[in-house]
Amino acid sequence: MPIKNVAKKIAQPYSIKIRLCKFGYQYDDENIKMNKFLLALCVIFIIVLYSFNSGESEWKKVLNSDTENLSLEAVRLALGADKGSFHMENFDPEKAKIGLELILKGKTKRGFFKSKVISSYFVCTDCHNVGREFKNSSDQNPSSRLDFAKVNNLPFLPASTFWGIYNRTSFFNDDYIKKYGDIIKDAKQSLPGSIQVCAKYCSSGRYLKSWELEAIIHYFKANELKIKDLSLTNNQKDAISRIQSLSETEKSDLLASINNSFTQGYSAHFAETMPRDDRKYGVGGDVDNGKFIYEKACLHCHLDGRVTYLKLGNDKLSAQMFLKNKSTYDDLSVYQIIRQGTYAMPGRNQYMPRFTKDKMSDQQIEDLMAYLTQLAEKQ
Amino acid sequence: MKKLVFVVLLIIAGFHCFGQDVTETFNSTRIVNSHSTEILRKKMWEYRIEHRFGDIAGANGGGQTAFGFDQAADIRMAMEYGITDKLMAGLGRSKGIGRPYTSLCDLFLAGRFLTQNKEKHMPVSAALVQTLYYTYMKQINDGQSVAYFDNKFSRRVAYSTQLVLTRKFSDRFSLAIMPTYVHRNYVSQTDLNDLFSVGFAANFKITKSIGVILEYFANVESENFRSDAMNSLGVGFEFVTNGHNFHINLTNARGFGELQYVALTQENWLKGQFRLGFSISRNFKIKTA
Repeated sequence: MPIKNVAKKIAQPYSIKIRLCKFGYQYDDENIKMNKFLLALCVIFIIVLYSFNSGESEWKKVLNSDTENLSLEAVRLALGADKGSFHMENFDPEKAKIGLELILKGKTKRGFFKSKVISSYFVCTDCHNVGREFKNSSDQNPSSRLDFAKVNNLPFLPASTFWGIYNRTSFFNDDYIKKYGDIIKDAKQSLPGSIQVCAKYCSSGRYLKSWELEAIIHYFKANELKIKDLSLTNNQKDAISRIQSLSETEKSDLLASINNSFTQGYSAHFAETMPRDDRKYGVGGDVDNGKFIYEKACLHCHLDGRVTYLKLGNDKLSAQMFLKNKSTYDDLSVYQIIRQGTYAMPGRNQYMPRFTKDKMSDQQIEDLMAYLTQLAEKQ
Repeated sequence: MKKLVFVVLLIIAGFHCFGQDVTETFNSTRIVNSHSTEILRKKMWEYRIEHRFGDIAGANGGGQTAFGFDQAADIRMAMEYGITDKLMAGLGRSKGIGRPYTSLCDLFLAGRFLTQNKEKHMPVSAALVQTLYYTYMKQINDGQSVAYFDNKFSRRVAYSTQLVLTRKFSDRFSLAIMPTYVHRNYVSQTDLNDLFSVGFAANFKITKSIGVILEYFANVESENFRSDAMNSLGVGFEFVTNGHNFHINLTNARGFGELQYVALTQENWLKGQFRLGFSISRNFKIKTA
């Protein structure tokens, strides 16, 4: 008996009728017969395949997208990084939408009612941008930040951007301990903890409810870094696309290079008020930079007293007020107020946060003075 | 009807205009006596204490009264609140100048419906102020007196409507025109229920926080009535700090509110019947979070 006929005989009891109605074809008269042995082999093959890949199923899902759009978190986890203090399993875009609303307005609508405002004095975007602030994702230089802000017309704010905050591992770094002390003890390594400190203390508000916190973290997850956001070489990107075939050593090296390519924690170094003798009062400062800083940093909050009682405008009188106080250690001296800020107190909770050296350089303060001098002398 | 719809649409458009709006036309919500086009920001509270002393000179002034310091022509305390960035309300209580009113309460609503904006070719800012006055003073049992209220609520009530138009000409200089209408339900035979007055004001800022203001109200009325009435004239000096606004002024008007300074001013500057006054306002937000 020819082999073909033997196979046909064996397979007969297991014949399967397939109807591909979905595609408009019908194979009513055709039976695909499968050998019992082949069927069993297929089942075993599938089981083996899944058992080998079960540990990397998440990565397999991720690989469906192109390398550029891979989530940094997923890549780092695939390379063996720790999950860290916070890791989100199931992202919900609806919650992210609510989170963004809380960030922009400080409140949202729940059912028929508005939620209680997080702070009566500030919203998050008074101090934080939500988008990218540096061309290079590992850069922290204030002049690079200013250049990027000028090109993209961004506010120039005292706090770090929310862009990529989901991927950061440390918060309230360096000198913030001098200002907040034990308050930030549990927040320094925790994204939820740092959000709560910011809501309660930095914004003179209240602790977030669990659903609010969750929504904001979902927004941060939506705003997380992708591989395309990092300044990686083609070789590194190629290695990421072949991640499963990398050796443990290669994975470790790749993880180290990726970790160096984005900011895991922004530096925050407080500076003393510039001594009177060191002040140049704007001489040699860049007026264009100064104009941008005045409009995008100072007026971001002070224009017509939007956030604070001190009303400023892009006018001669405002500039003259600063010039009159330029050599003092008073709050109306830009050298003083930028470096020291003010503190919240009963009846005046809308304080001014300080600009650390990492957010505004001494040269940028001189640029600001150069512009204010020009504005004050305007005819 | 079409005109009414147009006006309503214009007002709505005014409440929703964006862009480079001119700000700080005046330094506070008041000029000397009048309202300005400045409106408290949303959810901002303002507590005001205002005081007018007695005549500096003239028959009731001079050294015997320490140039008016011994007397209090009027005192007002008020709490005001920004409902939106362009609409505010306030509730105040004045001693009242006793001509005839004492124990005078005022409740007002002020809304800015136009904001000066060069880009939008809007040359002026405009606000409308509607005030309701109510006196809870004891009635006088003399039927000839305007304070003989006859236990009727309506006789204790008066109203004023003020349109404030302002323009900031430069960083330092602003002008205002304030057409004002005052209606009193109950007046004496020689008085008028309805009064019209047009106010003029100027603001000159010496520095960012110090300014000089001038305000004059010209009453439009028949000479056959209100022969004692005078126009109110005030000059003020203001000092603005973080959250505070201090006014020190000289004016012949004794009382606060359009009801009193428009309708009830009888003092004459030329006879030394002007007084020192001050107002202090403090802005704050109540922590609701």
